[in-house]
Parts: sequence; C-alpha cells; structure tokens
Amino acid sequence: MFCYHCGAQLSEQHDFCTACGADVHLYKKIMYVSNRFYNEGLERAGVRDLSGAVVSLRQSLKFNKSNVDARNLLGLVYFETGEVVAAMSEWVISKNMRPERNIADDYIGMLQSNATRLDSINQTIKKYNQAYAYCVQESRDLAVIQLKKVLSLNPKFVRAHLLLALLYMDSEQWEKAQRELKKCLDIDRNNTQALRYLKEVELMLQPDESIRQPAKHRKDESVRYQSDNEIIIQPMNVKEPKGSGASTLLNVGIGLIIGLAACYFLVVPARVADTRNEMKKTILEIGNQSDAKTSTIQQLELQVEKLQEENDSLNGTLEGYVGEDGTLVTIDNLLDAASIYLETQNLQDTAVRLETIASSVNVEETSEAFQKLYNLLLTTIGPELAVTYYNDGVTSYRNGDYAAAVELFTKAVYYDSANVEPLYYLGQAYRQNDDRENAIAAYQKVVELFPDTQNAASAKRHIEDLEQTAD
Amino acid sequence: MINFEEELKKFHPSLEVEDAEEAIYNQDLTDMADLLVKMIQESGEKTDA
Repeated sequence: MFCYHCGAQLSEQHDFCTACGADVHLYKKIMYVSNRFYNEGLERAGVRDLSGAVVSLRQSLKFNKSNVDARNLLGLVYFETGEVVAAMSEWVISKNMRPERNIADDYIGMLQSNATRLDSINQTIKKYNQAYAYCVQESRDLAVIQLKKVLSLNPKFVRAHLLLALLYMDSEQWEKAQRELKKCLDIDRNNTQALRYLKEVELMLQPDESIRQPAKHRKDESVRYQSDNEIIIQPMNVKEPKGSGASTLLNVGIGLIIGLAACYFLVVPARVADTRNEMKKTILEIGNQSDAKTSTIQQLELQVEKLQEENDSLNGTLEGYVGEDGTLVTIDNLLDAASIYLETQNLQDTAVRLETIASSVNVEETSEAFQKLYNLLLTTIGPELAVTYYNDGVTSYRNGDYAAAVELFTKAVYYDSANVEPLYYLGQAYRQNDDRENAIAAYQKVVELFPDTQNAASAKRHIEDLEQTAD
Repeated sequence: MINFEEELKKFHPSLEVEDAEEAIYNQDLTDMADLLVKMIQESGEKTDA
C-alpha cells in the first residue's frame, strides 16, 4: 500500500504516511474494503459463483481501481463466462497499471498469439449479436439457429445460453430450456437470471406436464407447444371443424365401407374361387361315380334281360311239361306209354305217346330216369316199329306218294337209326319229292354212317347228280 | 410467469473485438480512492483559503 500523496509505502501500524504525514486511515480503509471484496470475489470464483465473483470484483475495483489482482481475476472470470472482449479490456487496463510482472501479460499473449482463435471468438460475438437482433425483430427461429451456432463455437458463453433458454421458454419448449439453463449453471453456479428462469421452467414441468394448452396467441402464424417429447406446431388460421362428432362418425363409416369393399373385392373372390374348385371336384367325383353306377346298371340290365329270356325259356319249357292241372304232362305221357306197352303191347299206341313226348320236349334235357325209361321203351319197340314204318314207306314210295313216304321213312330212321335202308330210301323219297336239300342231307348221312356199302356209293352218285343239277 | 419482452431488455449486444479499444478508452476508472483524494484536496484547499 502506497501513499496517495507522495507514493511512499505506508506502514501498517500508523494511520498517517510516515513520509509526508498525510492522513491515510480512510485511504487504508478503502484499500482494505477493496481487498476484502477481492477476497470475496476470489472465494466465489473458486466455487464457480462467477456472477457473484464479478459483482465482488467490480466492487473491489470501485474502491481501488489499481487492484491489479482483482482486475486480472475479473478478466479471468469474464473470459470463463465467454465475455472475451470484456476480459481483454480488464487485462489491458491491468497491464497498463502494472506493466511488469503482471499475469495479464500472459493472458493477452495467449489470445493474441493465435489469430484463428481470435477470429473465431470474434465470429462468435458477431453471431450472438445477430441472434440478439433476430430476437428484437421477433425472428425467433432464426435467433435459435444462430445461438446454437454460437454455442457450438463457444460452449461457455453464458449469455448465449440464457438467451437461448429464454427463447425456448417463450416457445414453451420447457425441457430444452431446462437443459440450457443447467449448462449455464454448470459454468456459473449462482447465475441469478439462470436460477430464476430455471425456477419458472421447473414450475411448468410439474406433474400435469402431459396436458398442455395451446400457447397464447401471437402475431406469428403458427402456435407451438410441447406434448411429452414432441413439439407440435399448429397453424393459427386453421380451425377445428365444428360438429367433430358427426364428422368422426362419418369418417368411421367411410372407413368401414372402404374396409368392406376391400374385403369384397380382395377376399371374397378368392374364397368363391376356392369354393368353386371344391364344388367342381365334388361334381367330378359324383360324375365319375354316376358313370360307374350307370355302367353297372347297364350291365345289370343286360343280365336282367338275359335272365328274363332264360326265365321265359324255362317257363316255356315248364309249360311244355306242365298241363292245365299243373302236372307234368310229359311224365304222364311217358308213364302212359309204358303202361300201354306193358298192358297191351300195342306198338302203335306206345309209339304215338313217345312221339308226343319227343315233339313236346327235348328228351336229352330231361332227368336221367326219364331218359332211361324213354330210351328203354324206344329200344324195345323201336326196331319192330321201324320195320313197320319202313314197309309202309316202301309201299307209299312205290305208289308215288313221296310225301307220305318221306314221313314214314323219317319215322323208320328215328326208330332204327342203325339201318341203312330207311335212311337211303328217305333220301330217295326226298329226291323224288323234289326236296333237293333234304335229299342231299340224307344221302350224306348214308355216306357218313355207312361208308362202305352199296347204298353209300349210290348216295354219292345221287349227290353229284343233284349238285350238277343245281349248277 | 416470465415475460419475454421484459427479459430481452436485460440482454444487450456483446462487444466485438474491434470495439474493445473504444470500450477501454471510454471506461471510467474513477474509484473510491480517487474520490477520497479529491475530497481531501478540496477540503485542504478550503482550509488554506
């Protein structure tokens, strides 16, 4: 501490200058106060209460402008809060007050040595001023953009943080404002403005923060408000349509119609096609089954017809056997023939019965017993009967009654087929009766059955004659 | 509730590097010590007078 009057160093024990005798007790008190404020500023700067440190240091300098330490510290605090030009001013003044052994020299050198850094600082300041101008012109979006650029260049610029936070608060982006204010308070712990803003922001971010009313009306064309983490910008001139309930119902109805139409045009055809394919398959299967059954039916119908014919034939055969009273007539005839022969041994009557039997049924299709009895009767009376018929036939032949001769010779052959004469004369009778075909047939039988006989040779000649005659 | 317009008034443009020289020159460095010295001088002159 030096005397204000003569510049001599003052002693601590006396309230006057020992060199010039000037009263210095008030002066000393002023110095003490300045130093006390400096100490306070230093203490506050130590705990990052930079705003408080600025106040204290400025107070210190108000009491003693020559307090170089206070001035240097003030410059440092300004620099920490991003106020570079203010810091430079204090350091320059400090250097003027004490040119030698002054730390301000180093600070100034640090800034001036790096031109790029200085230019960057200058650009930061210019952008901040531009942002401030945008705020005044109410171009707040542009101001926000500029301030973000400023803070990217100088993250410790407290005033930029505060201004940006204020802009966010104005647009009710409370969480962003809170972030900026917290950054600001990280730099300057007791910044009064930041604390006040933060209090306001925290008040707005309390529990019912999810429900927000639209912001107050502004001159801007849009309203901005925050809902949870989303920022909603709503144009001012757009109004909600009235009767929203009816329009909602209408929209729901339209949506339903569109949904149904989509179903109808997209889903239903596919389902219909599937169903049709299934139906086609089913129809095809049914068709195949129907064809198979039709074929079966046809086969069964043919079988039925065949069986019907067989039935009719058997019925016919049965009718031949069955008489009016229902008994088998043929068996009666056979029994009758046997009875007559046994009782009377009348060959003619027996023959008549046997001929009736032969004309009504096929003896070979009768029972074994029937055939046995029939054949027995036939072989018993046959030869004798054949002779009779042969003789009668010859008589008729000689008389020129060839038709009768044919009949008689036929019976003679029937009753005695082992004899060549009736057969040969049968052929002769047919020939004489101009029945060429039957005559040839009879002659051929003669040739077949009796080949080495004279009758056979004659028969051959007759056959040749008849065939030549036919040609 | 914070009023944006009122709060904005508390902000002012920052000094640019080009303006630093002028700001230093314009700074009033009068302190209490200067006032005291002046007061003492004035009182001394009155006493002499």
